[in-house]
Amino acid sequence: MTKSAPGVRIDGLTVVYKTPAGELPAVRDVRLTLEPGTITGIVGESGSGKSTLALSLLNAVQPPGRISAGSVEIDGLGDVVGLRNEQLRKARGKHIGYVFQAAQNSLNPLKTVGKQLLDLGRSHGVNDLPGLVREARELLGRMGLDGARVLDSHQHELSGGMRQRVGIMLALVLNAHLVVLDEPTTALDMITQANILKIVREVHAERGLTTLVITHDIGVVAEVADRLAVMYGGRLVEQGPTREVLGAPRHPYTKGLIKAIPRLVGDIDEAQALPGRPPTLATVPAEGCVFRERCPLRMDVCDTVDPEARVDAGAGGPRAVACHAVTVKEHA
Amino acid sequence: MTVIARRLAGHLARGIVMILVVATISFFIVRSIPGDPVAANVQKLIEQGMAPEAAEQATRVLYGFQPTGSLWQQYTDYMAGLLTFDLGQSVTHAGAPVTQVLGEAAKWTVLPVLAGTLLSFLVGIILGVYAAIKRTGKLGDILAISGSLLHGVPQYVLGLLLSAIFATLIPILPADGPVDILFEPGFNAGYIGSLVEHAVLPVVTYALAAYGGWILAMKSSVVTVLGDDFILAAELRGMKRSIIFRYIARNAILPLFTILALSLGLLLGGAVFIERIFNYPGLGLLLLDSITMRDYALMGGAFLLITAAIIVANIIADLFYSVIDPRVRSGEEVGA
Repeated sequence: MTKSAPGVRIDGLTVVYKTPAGELPAVRDVRLTLEPGTITGIVGESGSGKSTLALSLLNAVQPPGRISAGSVEIDGLGDVVGLRNEQLRKARGKHIGYVFQAAQNSLNPLKTVGKQLLDLGRSHGVNDLPGLVREARELLGRMGLDGARVLDSHQHELSGGMRQRVGIMLALVLNAHLVVLDEPTTALDMITQANILKIVREVHAERGLTTLVITHDIGVVAEVADRLAVMYGGRLVEQGPTREVLGAPRHPYTKGLIKAIPRLVGDIDEAQALPGRPPTLATVPAEGCVFRERCPLRMDVCDTVDPEARVDAGAGGPRAVACHAVTVKEHA
Repeated sequence: MTVIARRLAGHLARGIVMILVVATISFFIVRSIPGDPVAANVQKLIEQGMAPEAAEQATRVLYGFQPTGSLWQQYTDYMAGLLTFDLGQSVTHAGAPVTQVLGEAAKWTVLPVLAGTLLSFLVGIILGVYAAIKRTGKLGDILAISGSLLHGVPQYVLGLLLSAIFATLIPILPADGPVDILFEPGFNAGYIGSLVEHAVLPVVTYALAAYGGWILAMKSSVVTVLGDDFILAAELRGMKRSIIFRYIARNAILPLFTILALSLGLLLGGAVFIERIFNYPGLGLLLLDSITMRDYALMGGAFLLITAAIIVANIIADLFYSVIDPRVRSGEEVGA
């Protein structure tokens, strides 16, 4: 196996959900590039469309949702939006590994992990099943688990942290080099969370992966991601190298998010919650900036014109911000 | 395995206690029903001109026992007999042992009920899966509507309808008893063929009456499982459809086994309409007769048999669960 980390280019991606009020966009006109071998983090509040975006990478948006426009080009696979049936099924698991939220039960409760591993192998035409089991045991051992015992266990016999590592194993065991982790540490305690993040980082480097981490926790992104994209109301409002975005946020939403994080040292009151609520599918404005209702820098133009993402070639990689106020300030 | 053995032992102990309790309750309830067949027989003989002494003597010979003990003595006798599976004699069957009378009747109930229930279970769950998967399409609608309709029609209406259509209007199937009396009972083609032919209508009636419940229960169970995370997870891992289908079916069918076990236990006593319509001398009719004739021993025996059947069905269901559901299997180990 000499697969290398694939690059991913998401362009103009729009995902709509069918509702009684018509088809409403959950993800709108998203443009995002995952460079080969990098870890990209997507942060956003609940309902910002980040999970929908993650599912789009596997062309797995669940009805009543559908990808209505745009493309997701993955090296070695082409545009997954155009993949159908068997092609799509084979791409999932084998090329793209998906790790579920830790709190979710992503295993069949009636079968041992090992039996589900064999089901996975058979689904993807793996001839060397003993080899697959060996690989799985090694991966689990690599993540600090007793592989043989875990493969012999049912889901209910595993803790949350163990399940999450099983999820990572199942995403990697077929040698997928693009891995999507959807809220990988939600509902885990701090120590398990730190462990899982360490594993993600190490496995990513060892196996040469391209990784996408979806989370609502900026701390998680700061911990693992090379690049960071901030999502709000289905739009990517800011993206760039993690250190630059966190160190010098430019979009008012990103600034608000960072201000809202309580510090370990200092007064709890220093953390300021962002006023207002994030929009839901039904309240996302059809035109203008999605953030304007909560924005301290709101201008007249924000009500009518959706700000385009302006890309700068920064020192650590390209940065993009979609905000009229930022644009005006820089070009004044 | 030891967990299963321990479960079995616990269930059996509880089951036996429950059977004894039910036997006690049914003994006293049955005897508090007004009417006394022995006294009635003595009275009848006296009216026919027999001397009271001789009438009592004749009745004693007929039934083979003396109805002279106190209620408490009768109870202890009854319970002692129970330990050796002696349920007493049936007064309406000329003193034949109750166990024998029940056994005769049971074969006309158990086989058709078992066949009908298993048939409806199989058809119902398979169609239930389709009704769930195609629930937004026409096929799903048709299946769900057929389920609701049949579920709403009482068993005896279905029985009368089938009997009227297939035995009277278009007389292609018999509805006049369990077997043709022309044939010699035994393992010969004629007898068995006749048995099967006669069983078609009652079995189909049982099956149709139960089918609606199965299809609706399975449909909702499958819909629940379809929404489970692990099904989406399996899809996102690129699992084959056939494998995902098996995951769904196995998880969805679990809760239905309890209903299956309960319905098998209950149907032993609840088949009275169908037995009457198709002239099957089964347990339902026997129980009905025993009540009208005040045949205490037979009544108590029939109640006991139904109770035992439900308890045994529950034990089997529970053991079955611990075999097919790993969460149940290890539940006691974790809890201990």
